Amino acid sequence: MKTNFTDAQLADPGIARANEILRACVHCGFCTATCPSYQVLGDELDSPRGRIYLIKDMLESGRPADAETVRHVDRCLGCLACMTTCPSGVHYMHLVDHARAHIERTWDRPWQERILRGALARILPYPGRFRWAMLGAKIARPFRRLVPDARARAMLDMAKAPIAAPSRLDEPQVHKAQGSRRGRVVLMTGCAQKALDADINAATIRLLTRLGIEVAIPKGEGCCGALVHHMGREEEAKRFAAHNICAWMAEIEGLDAIVINTSGCGTTVKDYGHIFRNDPLAEAAAEISAKAKDITEFLATLDLPAPERSGMRVAYHAACSLQHGQKVTAAPQTLLQAAGYEVATPSDPHLCCGSAGTYNLMQPEIAGELGRRKAASLEAVKPEAIAAGNIGCMAQIGERTGVPVVHTVELLDWAWGGPRPAKLGNSG
Amino acid sequence: MTVITPASEAELADAVRSANAPFAIRGGGTRSPAATRPVLSTAALSGVVLYEPGALTLVVKAGTPLAEVEAVLAEKSQRLAFEPMDHRPVLGTSGEPTIGGALAVNASGPRRVQAGAARDFLLGAVFVDGEGTRVRNGGRVMKNVTGYDLARLQAGARGTLGVLTELSFKVLPVPERVATLALACDDPSRAVAEMARALGSPYEVTGAAWDAARMLLRIEGFAESVSYRAGELARLIPGLVPVDEDPWPALRDGAALAETQRDIWRISLRASHGAILAERLCGAGAKVTLDWGGALLWAAVAPGTDLRAQMADLGGHATRLRGEGNIPALHPDPAPVAALAAGLRQKFDPRGLFAPEG
Amino acid sequence: MELPRPNPMVLERRAEIVARLKEALPADTVIDDPRGLVAYECDALTAYRCPPLAVVLPRSTDEVAAALRICHAMDVPVVPRGAGTSLAGGSLPTADAVVIGVARLTEVLETDYADRIIRLQTGRTNLSVTGAVEADGFFYAPDPSSQLACAISGNIGMNSGGAHCLKYGVTTNNLLGVTMVLMDGTVVEIGGAYMDAGDLDLLSVICGSEGQLGIVTEATLRILPKPEGARPVLMGFDSSRVAGACVSDIIEAGVLPVAIEFMDRPCIRACEAFAHAGYPDVEALLIIEVEGSPAEIDHQLRLIREIAERHAPEVIRESTSAEESAAIWLGRKSAFGAMGQINDYMCLDGTIPVTELPLVLERIGELSAQYGLGVANVFHAGDGNMHPLILFDANKPGDLELCEQMGADILRLCVEVGGCLTGEHGVGVEKRDLMTVQFSREDLEAQLKVKDVFDPKWLLNAAKVFPLAVTEGRRP
Repeated sequence: MKTNFTDAQLADPGIARANEILRACVHCGFCTATCPSYQVLGDELDSPRGRIYLIKDMLESGRPADAETVRHVDRCLGCLACMTTCPSGVHYMHLVDHARAHIERTWDRPWQERILRGALARILPYPGRFRWAMLGAKIARPFRRLVPDARARAMLDMAKAPIAAPSRLDEPQVHKAQGSRRGRVVLMTGCAQKALDADINAATIRLLTRLGIEVAIPKGEGCCGALVHHMGREEEAKRFAAHNICAWMAEIEGLDAIVINTSGCGTTVKDYGHIFRNDPLAEAAAEISAKAKDITEFLATLDLPAPERSGMRVAYHAACSLQHGQKVTAAPQTLLQAAGYEVATPSDPHLCCGSAGTYNLMQPEIAGELGRRKAASLEAVKPEAIAAGNIGCMAQIGERTGVPVVHTVELLDWAWGGPRPAKLGNSG
Repeated sequence: MTVITPASEAELADAVRSANAPFAIRGGGTRSPAATRPVLSTAALSGVVLYEPGALTLVVKAGTPLAEVEAVLAEKSQRLAFEPMDHRPVLGTSGEPTIGGALAVNASGPRRVQAGAARDFLLGAVFVDGEGTRVRNGGRVMKNVTGYDLARLQAGARGTLGVLTELSFKVLPVPERVATLALACDDPSRAVAEMARALGSPYEVTGAAWDAARMLLRIEGFAESVSYRAGELARLIPGLVPVDEDPWPALRDGAALAETQRDIWRISLRASHGAILAERLCGAGAKVTLDWGGALLWAAVAPGTDLRAQMADLGGHATRLRGEGNIPALHPDPAPVAALAAGLRQKFDPRGLFAPEG
Repeated sequence: MELPRPNPMVLERRAEIVARLKEALPADTVIDDPRGLVAYECDALTAYRCPPLAVVLPRSTDEVAAALRICHAMDVPVVPRGAGTSLAGGSLPTADAVVIGVARLTEVLETDYADRIIRLQTGRTNLSVTGAVEADGFFYAPDPSSQLACAISGNIGMNSGGAHCLKYGVTTNNLLGVTMVLMDGTVVEIGGAYMDAGDLDLLSVICGSEGQLGIVTEATLRILPKPEGARPVLMGFDSSRVAGACVSDIIEAGVLPVAIEFMDRPCIRACEAFAHAGYPDVEALLIIEVEGSPAEIDHQLRLIREIAERHAPEVIRESTSAEESAAIWLGRKSAFGAMGQINDYMCLDGTIPVTELPLVLERIGELSAQYGLGVANVFHAGDGNMHPLILFDANKPGDLELCEQMGADILRLCVEVGGCLTGEHGVGVEKRDLMTVQFSREDLEAQLKVKDVFDPKWLLNAAKVFPLAVTEGRRP
């Protein structure tokens, strides 16, 4: 597509990258077909092609963001289904990241929104604060009807989930491999996930060590930065990321992988190289990105034992960050099958469940509709359990179905010698 | 009655321009025995203009006899896949059907259910409108969306929008083998249900009809394919047996009804409604056959019967092919649609030269 | 390409028009914010753009009729829009036009497997029609490359084809009925779940009329049972001429594959990079697909191979799995987009008699050298529907114009050898001014008469299909 940037504008590396992305777009419209917000709203402004247009217009004119552009960019889930669909290789993720940062710099959000976003940015990345906030929200929940803002109500609803106590396993340490050591990884223990569900890391550590992998949890690692990154808060995101890069670089000698079991985080860590491309940390960031692996991606590289039992019918929900962001599509399903599960795929597997980081909090109506559709399509394949590789999806779907929702790694751990996941209830 | 037989498109255009009273347009005259108006004949506009077997295309003048067209194609093992019906048995007429006449009534035989109608194989047309203007539309290539499809609009227009002078068609190879399978069945509902199973299968049934005693299926293709599919269909529909005769030309022409002294109707409707209407009409003593899996119903009924009253709840439309009296031959369209058709006729034939006789 | 000057009387009354639309329709149905309108300023032909006066996104036939009645009463031009995937600028607005989009009309209204029909709202995408019936073993046959995203409304407007129409025909051969709203708001039902028309076959002329006769909101389509199986074979040749001759021989031999697709080296490379389909790196590639049971497929492919061997192919490779077949088609169907990774391009759509393929490919090569612009070829070889992609640099002044001139020369060539300007994309604005190459004044006049009947005020998509000089005096 033709673009109109001046040479002066193109001197800015951010704009230069945006120009490169926009030039690749042929405006064919394929992306509209797989965009969840367009499926729900039916206005092209709520599709990737429409947003690309709005962003292009905003960047070319160099003007501050306006209400219309902000509304439609905010409605983007960032699920990146469009990137899987796009035949022209348009890097929508980098474009929308750039636009979000531009919006954050140039647009004054209404005060209610500023408070909400500020609160989320200050709470979610910190497990300790998040636990306290959940507790507070639990106390406030009976009064939710008095809360005028749908977004604030959505935040209170999140507190329906139980709060997980801090787990000793997640503290900095080295979990030794059982038997002879076949490899060594760093486990990113995450932030919000730890507070919501301690079982995922526990299952990951058990399974890896049982398979002969040493699991290091370095001091100093924390939130990957994704939560604030998606709000356009570039500098904060880079601070989080820099901490991790330093913590992990200390372990890099002889390291096979940085294992991540929350695919939303994985997508961001794999993008560190791009985020720091014009920074003194560029080389280290690129190295970290190259080492980052989703847990299923890493497991797929190992020789795995035969499963001990079989038969449970599992619907696999592909988290967007995993299938679109990281293009990890086959590994989770192949592993589940190898572990003896019967794997069913719901219709429209490419569509987002509506969780999308903080989206379900910021856009509760659209997220709710997508969650309802996703739960219905999963239930339609009549599973005994639903497996997903991302805590956000698990919570979003779990709220809307009676079928137990578990992390893929919990099922794998169970099949290869671990305990039955608590979420499945007592043996059925 | 006067018969004008222009020797060229230009002569034809002159004749139309200088006319001051309506014509009766004639190809081979197989559909209208006696004219009440001066006849404008396309008989002299005859012959193959271009035939490219490697491109599956045939360009032919409108007055060319169908038999001649079919002979030319047969030499290269090709054919007109839409199987145009011959009106002579039903109407008791003589003369030679022409390609222009076949297209003007969109004459389509049993294969329509799978391959399509005359309209579906038409690639282009040249016609002379009511003001004597020569109009070319479409062309001779298989895919063409350049401008409005006026050529296809001529299919079934019965010459009311213009006199056809040249047509181009997509033709298809003649298959290596043809087989017909029959199932004894005198119940039209069961026949339609079985035809739906066959047509809903992947075995490419190219004919599905009911002749009041049997449900008949046709398969065509490479010899190996035909025997394989015949076997699969027999498995799908127990009781289906191969027959040696070729019942399709008779089914195509409504021959079984032609011998009666009754009015003959041809009704296009939803296949499952074909079963319902067949039950109704058989119950009332009509002679009925079904084609196109039930979506085409042939009926021979007592003279003067208006079948349209008996299908008002079913949709579709009924054409009276043969019969006397005041019942219109064509099914009246709803008012807004009829207004569009009338508007088009007014534009293409403002002087009403091509208005139907009677 | 020029657009007609917007009617100042309409522009002046913009506020009143928008107010009346908002009064008659739900709040989120009417878009009039200037920023919001920008996204509707073009379709998949981005060379020409113009934001409309307003956009209406109705949720029912009644809402479409309400919007049209207002526009009709106020003499406001209307541009219909499906999914906005036209490569010919079919839904390019004018500044005084209201765009009426059917993107929110996506429901399936009825599916009947015994009668083999589906009735649906036309905003539904082509691929999701098949999606609605494939679990029960059926599919909708026309398969334009944009089938993932393009809407049935647009397919009807352009009479869209696809890769498999060699066997299954194009939209007009698979369309049984429509619910259409005329410009004055009248709702008409034409055809239905049956085959023949009663009187005039109006569907013939509605299908392919590029949204100039009415807005089709519902359609009844023919659905077909899925074949038992299908298998594509890849055949690589060292020249386009030889590949073209091979196609002609296959057809003449009486073997009729369901699809014969052609790609040249630049396209092969771009598609391979996207789809990883295992395309061989050759000068000319044919993808030939046949259908049936495994034994039937083997038999047909044996015949095709025998013919191909006579043309000394560099590679012949059959697909060995469903995944491989899917990748082969994904690559082909993404060809236009994939070329976008490499270059800006203009996509042509002329059709020629299959027998002229070798000659035309050679002449296109000569034109490419003469203009100094690259060309990549990808097209439906079985039916002669060519898609040369002329490569240019949209950001380089003058390049688009040069590209347009070369495109016009190629299309003239198509007409010259007995073909036409557009096989499946439609005329739109892109080929509008070339219509006189293919049609005489009288031929065009006959087509205009049809529009006179359906849209006497000439308000619907009136700047398209016909050269402006030809429609001067009819348009307001």
